[in-house]
Amino acid sequence: MYRMLEINLKTGETKVIDISELFSKFIGGTGVLTYLAIKELTKELDPLSPQAPIYFGIGPFNSYFPSASKTIAIFKSPLTGDLGESHAGGRLSMAMFAAGFHVIKITGKAEKPVYLSIDNEQVNLIPCRSLWGRSALSVERILREKEDSRKGKKSILRIGPAGERLSPISSVTVDASRHFGRLGLGAVFGSKNLKAIVISGNRYAPITNKKEYQAFYNELFKDLAFSENTYKYRDLGTSVNVIPLSKIHSLPTRNFSQGFFESAERISGEFFAENFLAQQISCSHCPIGCIHVATLRELFADPHMYKTIKVSYDHELIYSIGSNLSISRADEILKLLQFIERQGWDAISIGVVLAWATEAFQKGIIGLSHTENLALSFGDSQTYLSALEHIASGTNEFYRDLERGVYYCAKKYGGEEFAMHFNRNEAPGYMTGPNAFVGYAVGVRHSHLDCAGYSVDQKFLGRQQDIEKEVRMMYEESLWRMVTNSLVTCLFARGTYTPNVVEKGLKLLGYDVDLQWLSKASRLIHGMKYVLKERLGFDFSNLNLPGKLTKVYTGRGMMTTEDFKERIEIYERLISQDKQIAKEQIA
Amino acid sequence: MNKKLVVKDRERCIGCYSCMYACSRAWHNIIGIEKAAMRVKNYPGIEGAFSVRVCQGCLDPECAQVCPTSALKVSKRGYGVELDKEKCTHCMKCVRACSASALQWDEETKLPLPCLHCGICVMYCPTNVLQMSEVRINVQNA
Repeated sequence: MYRMLEINLKTGETKVIDISELFSKFIGGTGVLTYLAIKELTKELDPLSPQAPIYFGIGPFNSYFPSASKTIAIFKSPLTGDLGESHAGGRLSMAMFAAGFHVIKITGKAEKPVYLSIDNEQVNLIPCRSLWGRSALSVERILREKEDSRKGKKSILRIGPAGERLSPISSVTVDASRHFGRLGLGAVFGSKNLKAIVISGNRYAPITNKKEYQAFYNELFKDLAFSENTYKYRDLGTSVNVIPLSKIHSLPTRNFSQGFFESAERISGEFFAENFLAQQISCSHCPIGCIHVATLRELFADPHMYKTIKVSYDHELIYSIGSNLSISRADEILKLLQFIERQGWDAISIGVVLAWATEAFQKGIIGLSHTENLALSFGDSQTYLSALEHIASGTNEFYRDLERGVYYCAKKYGGEEFAMHFNRNEAPGYMTGPNAFVGYAVGVRHSHLDCAGYSVDQKFLGRQQDIEKEVRMMYEESLWRMVTNSLVTCLFARGTYTPNVVEKGLKLLGYDVDLQWLSKASRLIHGMKYVLKERLGFDFSNLNLPGKLTKVYTGRGMMTTEDFKERIEIYERLISQDKQIAKEQIA
Repeated sequence: MNKKLVVKDRERCIGCYSCMYACSRAWHNIIGIEKAAMRVKNYPGIEGAFSVRVCQGCLDPECAQVCPTSALKVSKRGYGVELDKEKCTHCMKCVRACSASALQWDEETKLPLPCLHCGICVMYCPTNVLQMSEVRINVQNA
């Protein structure tokens, strides 16, 4: 049985509902949550109002199979006004399973700051006024100790001060270093006076067909732990991409001015590994171990007083706080990242905002009166740290505006041409060519992970373009990810969880499915997302390519607005049938 | 030859809990980790270093010594313990007596979870933290 736990933060009331039927129709995870959200998210709904819901969901594969280690969050994004969807790892999917809930829905607003404690069916709202204002890192330390007597493994979600300030680029941090990073879930927590969630339990599921299950599990485990499919994620991690991307003019540098970063070697995965990597760690029940944790030892007082910080890194962070700000020292990137972790901003978004601010300053759009006399300069990490401190303290209107995202800032101050956002979401770290950007624009959550355009671009490097085929590849990828995001498996395990494997796994769990059913389900879920998005105001014809990107050299050369628009039209055409399926099914 | 489970290289642990899933699967036929006879402990923050608690396979086990009903006694193997569930009074003295804090407790059944040193967890450790090691019976204070 699959159950949903509903919690009202205002009244403290809870409700448990059997949602097994939804799982049989929409698989789980993102499929089930999208169906639930479609009934509640409206254009008029203020994403920061008490009635705005937050959904967390896992799928049928979580806890059963290795590397099914993600949890989906769905909400109305305060950054875009559109569908908010973000995924995180850590121990959360295991803890939700152990608490006995596959979906958790949170509504209402607590009168004063609280944290939500879930231990099996025991749900408590615990006042925590003295935690308000504390960093995302210290809250975890405090709560892990405070709740230590609980038997089950705990997962701890919390916001930093950025979420309390309702910054629409604030994230929710999960356990040591995972995040619901994108689209502003941190602000939604803040708006509900919800500082943290501690969840655990000791529920389990019996294995009915042991022999078959174990044999299937062993195949998966072997592939995930030891095969080439996952090796790169464990070895250098995604930052293995830094040098190769720079070589093909695809690593965004100095606010997307160019794709070649002259210091790529010094901020590469290889450099971080050799000089700063403490160890790899993993999410619960995932043998890949892709989380790269760096240590930075720093002399803080003469002659021998040292401190050591630990912070995790990957490609996206190295892009947003490294190359895109022209910071060529790995230690300086780590220091900035730690500040960002404490505040609880989305590291991609805050980096893109700083890059915009720097270019705006250099073009005279903003001046020293805005920056409190800071001369924002690419490569100057010390000044960037001061700027982040100003944002954190809300020194003046300009700094308070910066944490509202780059779309807002450019609208207000100017420089829209070089504000690197797609549908108001700050751009991820690939400028491989048109498909990367089209993917950010059309993707269900405006992430590089929706349809992997960056990968399609790289497959077509040096080849004749085939617009129809390229866009179709992105569409097919996006469709299949509807399934994996419903299971919910990690994208790094996608080489293992092929359609045939997924079919076999679902059958083992009692789902009556075949490949055709999976294909239909993926189109239904895909369609539901776009129906919902359009209801919230998303419109393919409003999608724009930041003007600057038509003047820079990308992995696949120069780009044109016409080409961008054409690809979007093809994508819109491809999904129209999915929308039709969804409309019929949910009518 | 008798072998017991030992932590060979704690610092390699990535905290994936595959070992605990394997133990619960093999001996309790369940999906979950809370019935595992060993435990990977994590610490707050980006600690990275996990503490891996496994049964020490004692020759003269502290847990068995304090058991008021001899429900827990030295295993027939000669090291480690075995449990007679019928005799257990759920007093939890055994768990408290284990000075290595290695003996786990089943909150649901209120029974200790003695490790059988079967080695299934070793097979599922992706980074070789665990290993089966020969038991030396004739050692003082083993």
